[in-house]
Amino acid sequence: MIRRWLKKIRRSDETADDTIVLDGSRKSTGGRAGSRILMMGVMFFCVYGVIAGRLVYYGSHKEEDSGPPPARPTEARPDIVDRNGEILATDIKTASLYAEPRHIVDVDEAIDKLHTVLPDLNYEDTYRKLKSHAGFVWLRRQLTPKQEADILALGVPGLGFRTERKRFYPGGSMASHILGLVNIDNKGIAGMEKYIDEQGLSILQATGLATQQDLKPFRLSIDARVQHIMHDELTQSMEKYRAIAAGGVVLNAKTGEVLAMVSLPDYDPNNPYNALDKDRFNRMSNGVFEMGSTFKTFTTAMALDSGKVHLSDKFDTTHPLHYGRYTIHDYEPKHRWLTVPEIFKYSSNIGTALEAEKVSIEHNQQFLTNLGLLTRVPFELPEIATPEQPKVWKPINQITIAFGHGVATTPLQTAVAGMAILNGGLLIEPTLLPRTQAEADEHTKRVIKASTSQDMKYLFRLNVEQGSGRQAKVPGYFVGGKTGTAEKVVNGKYSHTKNFDAFMAAFPIDDPQYVVLVVLDEPKPYGGWPATAGANCAPTAGNIIRRTAPILGVEPEFGHQLGALLVSYH
Amino acid sequence: MFRTTDIVLIAVMIGTAAVTYRIKQSAESELEHINKIRTQIRLEHDTINLLQADWSLLTQPKRLQKLVELYQPQLNLQPTTAEQIVTLDQLPMRPVEMPKPDPQAAGQVAQNNPDKTVTGSLKK
Repeated sequence: MIRRWLKKIRRSDETADDTIVLDGSRKSTGGRAGSRILMMGVMFFCVYGVIAGRLVYYGSHKEEDSGPPPARPTEARPDIVDRNGEILATDIKTASLYAEPRHIVDVDEAIDKLHTVLPDLNYEDTYRKLKSHAGFVWLRRQLTPKQEADILALGVPGLGFRTERKRFYPGGSMASHILGLVNIDNKGIAGMEKYIDEQGLSILQATGLATQQDLKPFRLSIDARVQHIMHDELTQSMEKYRAIAAGGVVLNAKTGEVLAMVSLPDYDPNNPYNALDKDRFNRMSNGVFEMGSTFKTFTTAMALDSGKVHLSDKFDTTHPLHYGRYTIHDYEPKHRWLTVPEIFKYSSNIGTALEAEKVSIEHNQQFLTNLGLLTRVPFELPEIATPEQPKVWKPINQITIAFGHGVATTPLQTAVAGMAILNGGLLIEPTLLPRTQAEADEHTKRVIKASTSQDMKYLFRLNVEQGSGRQAKVPGYFVGGKTGTAEKVVNGKYSHTKNFDAFMAAFPIDDPQYVVLVVLDEPKPYGGWPATAGANCAPTAGNIIRRTAPILGVEPEFGHQLGALLVSYH
Repeated sequence: MFRTTDIVLIAVMIGTAAVTYRIKQSAESELEHINKIRTQIRLEHDTINLLQADWSLLTQPKRLQKLVELYQPQLNLQPTTAEQIVTLDQLPMRPVEMPKPDPQAAGQVAQNNPDKTVTGSLKK
């Protein structure tokens, strides 16, 4: 049917052609072709002209800014958890509210509605912002998810949210010096946060591989409960004894793990406006102090370990020692010959100096170096101070260093060296990462004989039973400890009123599981007691041990003192 | 010109186009669905993160200590003392309980008839 119809049309065309008188075929086509080409040319020129013009327009014309600014690329960081998996630091997403004033229909209504969710919104300021012709204004940064949902529910046009990642520390200032800080781009700038970045996180972030879901939580050796108790007790003690600073550390004596480390005053990492204040640095690892009588631990251990001094040896402390223009006194002079345990118990400067003299200066220096007291301690935190010692050890230096003046070390490394003295003579590198016994053995070095360590444990216990550490006694847990009250150097002279007090303890002392070191800087006399370590640091350490020992799973042992055990059967 | 085969081919073409369109359409809607679920998963992840942070905030030892102090009169919670911790082998053995003698059974023994055995101490 279609074919027939097409034929018909063709036939009618043929009839029309018959009447036309033909010109030259060249003329008939060529004449029209020229005008057609011209027409096409003009058309194309027009089209391309418009496109080019538009390009120039877009190139020179500045687009009016609207919409939020490009998102700040905040990188994901792994959570930091304590040894039991409690979160110490985490990333949370917060929403920030912005407005596009051009799209807001009724400013008054918008503000009124916002007021119901954000009651503290400044009316005038917000009105001015929303009435402006800016394409974009921030109204409130970092809202809670509930506020975000409420504002969304208001249904005000022209409002929007931009999510931002923010580092959050649920514990606040509890472990601030350990965790450190991140900057606005979520990069670690201090403490363990910086350490994590150095371990390859920054490379992951740079290659875009670090996403929130892929990053495993970063586990620390810290125990949040012990850390809290330490923080709590030190805060109380600092207030009670009106000290300018306080610090403490708890070490696992078998593995060298740090279970808690606190330095006060500290800062809140959620709002670290004062983190860089001069007195808020980490005193435990980044401050060096003359540790005073605590150092007698090392002198006594050295003298005993050399074999030149025995526990039963006696030394003459009848008169003060004279060295050139220096005179060495005892804090509580006994004016008689004292045995080694008595020297330790009464913390006799003269006796300890005499003990040190039995050992050569080179050996003395070598011994303290072996204990890691004269070199920078290997540790994860970037904030580590280098100890100070005299350039050349003269005899007088040896004498003063014997009772802890003349060498300044960090409290952390003092605790580590004390741990080596008490755990059987093995120096273990401290760490903030969880460590098994097998891993700890790789970082272990023998520094004194096991028998010397045994003697030192006896001396430590004696000091708590009868000596200056009596207030550190905790029933059920055999605490051994050594106090240290050092006079601080003020204007180049030893001050008689400003002390640096320390107490180093271990429990249970028959086989130490944990070592505790507590320091107080410039405590004041309290309750009729002088500002000595036995009166402030020892009870603080005692409280810490009393509260932490059950948490740490140390079994109480009453030995022969065990009274009646109340048992009721039902 | 137009043969039946042409018409068939055109029909097939239109049919194919329709099927392709349908497949594309359903793929797009599936993709949309997937994106929606992805967004939901991300949201859930964020919520989990937030809840974890919230949980650790609520279980902060500092907060718990404050609560214990606040509710001291009602709860009277005390720290565990060393005396309260005892291991199993430190406990003495449970005292042995003797079963009480049954008075009836005892009576029965007494009421039993005298033994038939005769000894020298008894008279016949």
